[in-house]
Amino acid sequence: MKKLITLTVNGKSHEVAVEPNETLTDTLRYRLGLTGTKKGCEVGDCGSCTVVMDGKPVNSCLVLAMQAAGRTIETIEGMETEKGLHPLQEAFVEKGAIQCGFCSPGMILSGKSLLEKNPNPSEAEIRGAISGNLCRCTGYQKIVEAIQSVKSE
Amino acid sequence: MYYTEGLPVPETPSPGETPGPWERTDVVGKPRPRVDAYERVSGTAVYPSDIVLPRMLYGAILRCPHPHAQVKKVDTTAAEAPPRVRAVIGPGDPKTDLPWSFRDVKTTLFPKTCRFEGEPVAAVAAETLYQAWDAAGAVRVDYKVLPHVSDERRALEKDAPKVHENGNKLKTDTYSRGDVEKGFFEADVVLEQHYRTEAEVHTPLELHGCVANWDGDVLTIWESTQGVYAVQSRVAEVLGLPLSKVRVIGHYMGGGFGSKLQTSRYSIVAALLAKKTGRPVKSFLPREATFLAMGNRPPSNMTLKAGVKKDGTLTALSFTCLGTGGAYPAGGTSLVDWQIRDLYLCPHVRTECTDVYINAGPARPFRAPGHPQCSWALEQMLDALAEAIGMDPVALRLKNVPDYSQGREGNPPYTTTGLKQCFKEGARRFGWEKARRKTAGQEKKGHLRRGVGMAGSVWFVGGGGPPSTVILKLFSDGSANLNMGASDIGTGTKTVMAMVAAEELGLRPEMIRIEHADTGTTQYATPSGGSKTVPTEAPTVRDAAVQVKRRLLQMAAEEMDLPVEDLRYTGDDIVSRSRPDRRIRIVDISGLKRQGVVVGVGHRGPNPEKKTVNPFCAQFCEVEVNTRTGELRILRFLSTNESGRVMNRLTFDSQVIGGVTMGIGLAATEMRILDANRTGKMVNRNWHDYKLPTSLDVPADIVGVPIEMPDAEANISGAKGLGEPVTIPTAAAVANAVYDAVGIRITESPINPLKLSSLLEQQKKEG
Amino acid sequence: MMAHFSYVRPRSLKEAIGHLAENGARVHAGGTDLLGCLRDQVFDVRKVVSISGLSAMRGVEQVAGGGLRIGALTTIAEISEHPLIRKHYTALAQGASEVASPQLRNQGTLGGNLCQKPRCWYYRGEFHCMRKGGDVCYAAGGENQFHCIFGSGGRCFIVHPSDTAPALSALDAQVEITGPGGLRTMPVENFHVHPEDDVLRETWLERGEIVTAVRLPAPQASLKSTYRKIRARRAWDFALAGAALALELDGDRVVDGRVVLSGAAPVPWRSLLVEDTIRGKTLDDRTIDAAADAVVKGARPLAKNKYKLPLFRGMIQEELRRIHQSAGADG
Repeated sequence: MKKLITLTVNGKSHEVAVEPNETLTDTLRYRLGLTGTKKGCEVGDCGSCTVVMDGKPVNSCLVLAMQAAGRTIETIEGMETEKGLHPLQEAFVEKGAIQCGFCSPGMILSGKSLLEKNPNPSEAEIRGAISGNLCRCTGYQKIVEAIQSVKSE
Repeated sequence: MYYTEGLPVPETPSPGETPGPWERTDVVGKPRPRVDAYERVSGTAVYPSDIVLPRMLYGAILRCPHPHAQVKKVDTTAAEAPPRVRAVIGPGDPKTDLPWSFRDVKTTLFPKTCRFEGEPVAAVAAETLYQAWDAAGAVRVDYKVLPHVSDERRALEKDAPKVHENGNKLKTDTYSRGDVEKGFFEADVVLEQHYRTEAEVHTPLELHGCVANWDGDVLTIWESTQGVYAVQSRVAEVLGLPLSKVRVIGHYMGGGFGSKLQTSRYSIVAALLAKKTGRPVKSFLPREATFLAMGNRPPSNMTLKAGVKKDGTLTALSFTCLGTGGAYPAGGTSLVDWQIRDLYLCPHVRTECTDVYINAGPARPFRAPGHPQCSWALEQMLDALAEAIGMDPVALRLKNVPDYSQGREGNPPYTTTGLKQCFKEGARRFGWEKARRKTAGQEKKGHLRRGVGMAGSVWFVGGGGPPSTVILKLFSDGSANLNMGASDIGTGTKTVMAMVAAEELGLRPEMIRIEHADTGTTQYATPSGGSKTVPTEAPTVRDAAVQVKRRLLQMAAEEMDLPVEDLRYTGDDIVSRSRPDRRIRIVDISGLKRQGVVVGVGHRGPNPEKKTVNPFCAQFCEVEVNTRTGELRILRFLSTNESGRVMNRLTFDSQVIGGVTMGIGLAATEMRILDANRTGKMVNRNWHDYKLPTSLDVPADIVGVPIEMPDAEANISGAKGLGEPVTIPTAAAVANAVYDAVGIRITESPINPLKLSSLLEQQKKEG
Repeated sequence: MMAHFSYVRPRSLKEAIGHLAENGARVHAGGTDLLGCLRDQVFDVRKVVSISGLSAMRGVEQVAGGGLRIGALTTIAEISEHPLIRKHYTALAQGASEVASPQLRNQGTLGGNLCQKPRCWYYRGEFHCMRKGGDVCYAAGGENQFHCIFGSGGRCFIVHPSDTAPALSALDAQVEITGPGGLRTMPVENFHVHPEDDVLRETWLERGEIVTAVRLPAPQASLKSTYRKIRARRAWDFALAGAALALELDGDRVVDGRVVLSGAAPVPWRSLLVEDTIRGKTLDDRTIDAAADAVVKGARPLAKNKYKLPLFRGMIQEELRRIHQSAGADG
C-alpha cells in the first residue's frame, strides 16, 4: 500500500506517495525525475546510485524510500549553484575524470563527502573513499587527481 | 568572436585535391576537456535508461533459468491477472515470436529450446517497473531440463550433451606459413606451454536496454548502443519495416566495450510490446541478465610451441586454441591467433583454432577480441624464450619487430610502425634495465618481492575506413553544427570531432555544436568499435570542413570578383593573396547571409592500397608479491602507444588508464564462473562475486606515453585507433612481472591469492 | 525481483519486538544485507520492521568497569572511526574498516553485520539449497572456491561473511539480545549456529528477538589485537582467509590469547589449536611455524578451496611476525 512521505532532496521538501518495497533510487528517478542518480546493479555493488543521506554517501538502491522519510538527501542535481558547477565537478571536467559519465555522479558525491569530512585527504584516503564506486571506462587515476586538485585549492 | 585569434588556419586544397597532413595544429592534440563534460558531471545528460515518455509502460523479460531446456508450456494467466499489466507475449504466437538468428543459426525471440541460461521465454509490459517484474515472475513455465555442457574443454567428448543437433563443433580455422617443423629444427631452444584465460564479462555501468515508441507506423528506439545504424538495420529487418521508418537514437550511453555493438532481442521485444499496447515501452535488463546474455570475452585454452635461435631470432610458432562463443556462433576464437601471426617476425607459423558450442551466453566482441588472450600466451612465451637464451626480454622483442604484416595475404607493409619505438621509449621511460637489475638483485629472504614485466602488441585493425558521411553546417554568424551518426561511447568522439572541425575552420571548438547518433537526423556511420571511430570519422569531418571552406572561398570570389585561387581562408575572413588589403569577413559574405548556412558534406576517403594501418603498443609494469599469502600488488604501469596522431591528450590518457585498468581485471580479478558440475548456471552474476578492479586494485601510477607518428598515408587526420591496443598486453605484462618477482609462471588467469598461495607453497616445498 | 511486504517503523523497542514476533517479519536496520535478500527473494517476508529510528540503540558508551557498550544500530563506519575502539579494540576497528565499501559501511550496522545472511552464491542464487530448506548443498560438489574448510558438519559449506564478528569474538565480547522474554546476553563466540546444530539459521536469535548491543570487556594494556583479511579484491570483498588475534603479551611472550578465523567456517572459527600453540610461548620462528601448522590442522578442504591451507598458514605467519616485530619495537 502506498504511503505519503516527505523527502528532503537538495534542500527542497517533496511529498511523494511510495510503495513499501520501493527503493530510494527509483523514487528519485521515477517520482522526482532526478535521473542523475544512476542505476547500475540494484544490490549495492557499483555505487552508481550513490546519494548523500544525512551527510554520508550511501547506495540509494539499498535504501527503502520509506526509510528515507524525514532525512536529508543530496543528489548530483543539487551540487550546482547559481555560481556554477561545484569545484569538484569543475575538477572532473578539467582533469578529464570522465568517460562515459555513468559513474560520475556517484563518484563526485563520494568525493565531495570525503572532502567535506577531510579537506586534505591523502591519495590512499581518496582511493579508499571511492572504492565503492566502480568505473569500467577510464580507471580511477584521473578521478583521484580531480579530487586531489580540489583539496589543494 | 567565434574564431581563434592569431592562429594560422590550414591551407584549403583546391577541389579534387586531397588535403595534406596538418603541418602544425593548434587545437588537435592538445589536452581539451570534453564538449559534453558539463552534462556528464551535472547529472543532466539523459542516457537512454533515464528516458521517461508520457504514458510510458515498463517491459520485463522472463529468462530461462536453465542452461539447456525445452519450454514445454508457458502459462501467462497469473501474469495477466494483476490489474495494471498491459501485455504479455511469449513463444508460439507468430505475430510476436519472430525469427531471430545468431549469424546463420536460426532461432526465435522466445525459443522452444533454450540453449543458454538467460534466453528470453516471455515478456510483459505493465504500468510500473515493479509491476512489470512482478508480472514476469508470475509467468509459469514448464521446462524440460536437458543435459548441458558448460565447459568447452568437455564439449568435444563423445558423451558430451549436444548444444545443437549437429554436435558441438562449430569450426576449426587453420593458418600456416613456412614450415614449422623446419623452424623448430633450426631453433636452438624450443619451448611448449599450455595457457588459459578465463571468460570475462563486459558489464558496462549502464545496463543494456531501450525505450521503444510507435508514432503511427514509425518506430523510434532510444537505446544504449555503440551504433544506432546497426540497431536500425536489424530492427527493420526483423520487423519487416523500411529503414526510413525505424529511428534509433543513442545520444549518451554508459559504456559498451563491444557488448553494445549489435542488436539484441530486447529491442525487438520492446517494439512488439509497444505495438501491442499502443504506448511507449521502456525495457532495461537487470544486471544479472547482462551477465548471462549480453556477451563475454570467451575463455581461451591455448598451447604455444615456439623456437628461437641463440641470437634471439624467432624460428617457429605453433599455436592451437580451443575456444567457445557459447551456445550460438559468436566468434569463440575470433582473432585469437592474430598476434601469433602478425606481431613478431617469424618465418614459420601454424595456428589451429577450434570453436565449440557450450550451453552458455553467446560471446560478443570485447575490447580487442581475441588479442589479450593471445598476448597472455605469446608474451609469456617470449619471456620464457628470452630467459632460456639469456637475453633481455626487450632485446628479444626488438630483434623480431616486423615492418610489414606477415599475417596478411601479400605481406603489405604497415603505413607506420612504431613498435620498435614503443619498446625503446617505453624501456627508457620506465627505467627497465635498472628495474630489472634491482629485482634480480633483491634479497631472497624478504616476503615482499618485486618484479617487472613487459609485453607488446599490435591491433588487428584500428585504421578505420569508409563508409562515413558527415555534414558540417556553417551558420551565418560563423558558428557551426556538425552532424554525424557515430556514437560517443565515452571515448570522447564528439570532443575530438569538434576539435578537428575547429582546427580546419579556425573556429573555437565550443562554437561547434554536435548532433550525433540518431538515424533520423544524422548521417550514416558504422558502430563505434574496433578502435576505428576516430580514424574513420576524423578524416570525414576534416573533409566536410574543407568543403565548407571551398564553398566560402567560391562565394567570396564571386563577391570580390577575384579568382578563387587568389583567395585564402584565414578563419575569420578571406583574404586576397595578391592584394592583402582586399578581404572580407566570413560573416559579411552576402552569399552566406542569403543562404543562412553553408553546408559541407564530408566523406571518408579510401585507405591506402597495398598497405595496412595498425596501431602498436608496449607496456611495462612493476608488481609486488607477498610470498606468504600470494597477494599481488600492481605498483606502476607505463604504456607506450603508437596510434598515429594524438588527437586529444586528455582523452588519450583516459583511454590508456582505462585500458590498463581493464587489462588488470583480466590479469588479476575477473572470471566468469559456471556451475559446470551440476546445474551449469553462472554463479557469479553480480559485481561482488564477479570482481571488477576497484580504485584500490590498480596502481596510482599509470602513465601513457604517445609515440606520435602522424600517419599521413593512413588518412587525412593522421590518427589511428587507441582504445583496444592499450588493453592487449596488460595482463601478459603483469604475468611476466609476477614471474620476475617470484619465479612462478602463472599460465592460467586470473593471478590471485587462490592460485599464488598454492603455487608459492609448492615452490617452497620443492626448495 | 523485489518482494512485497508491509513496512512499519516502530517508535519503541518494545513495539519493534511485538512486530518481530509475527510470522514473516524481518528486522530492518541499515538494510544493506536485507534489501539484497529481498530483491533476490532469498527468503519470504511479509513485514519489514524498520528500527533505524530507535536512536537509543545507536552509539558507543563507556560502561561501569571500563568496558564499552556499542549499540546495535551503530554503523560500521562509526565503529571503524571511533577513537576508543581504534585505541583499545584495534581488531574491531580494523575488522570494521575491512567491511564491504564506504557506502555500505555508512549504511550497515553492527547488529546487521553480526546477523547477516551468508554470501554463498548458491544460497543467494536460484538454488533451493539445504540452508533454504532443500536437501542438497550445491557447494559441496560445485564451485566451492570461496567456501569453508572447517565446521561444515558435512551439511552446509558457507563461510560466515562478517569481519566484525571474529574481532568481537577474539575480544571476548558479549552480545546483548532483547526479545519478548526480556534481555539476555551471550558471548559473541557462541552467537552463531553451526550447521550441524541447525542448518536453517545463522544465529541463536529466537523469534521476536533482536541484537540490541554488544559489550566489550574493559581494555587491558597488555592486550594487542589485530584483524587481517586476505581477499581476491581490495574493496567490497569477503575474506578468503582472515584472522582476528587478541593476544595478551608480556614483551614478546604470549601470556594468553584468542584467535578467531574468518573465511574458514560457517561461523567465526575460534582456533583453539593456534591458541594452545602460542600460549606461554615467545613468538620466535619455531612457535610461529608451529602456529601456522596448527591453524589448518583438521581442516577438510573441498575440491576448489585447497589453497586456503597455505593461505591461512601464510597469513598466521605474517600476523604473528608482525606482532612479534611490533612487540620488539615497543620493548
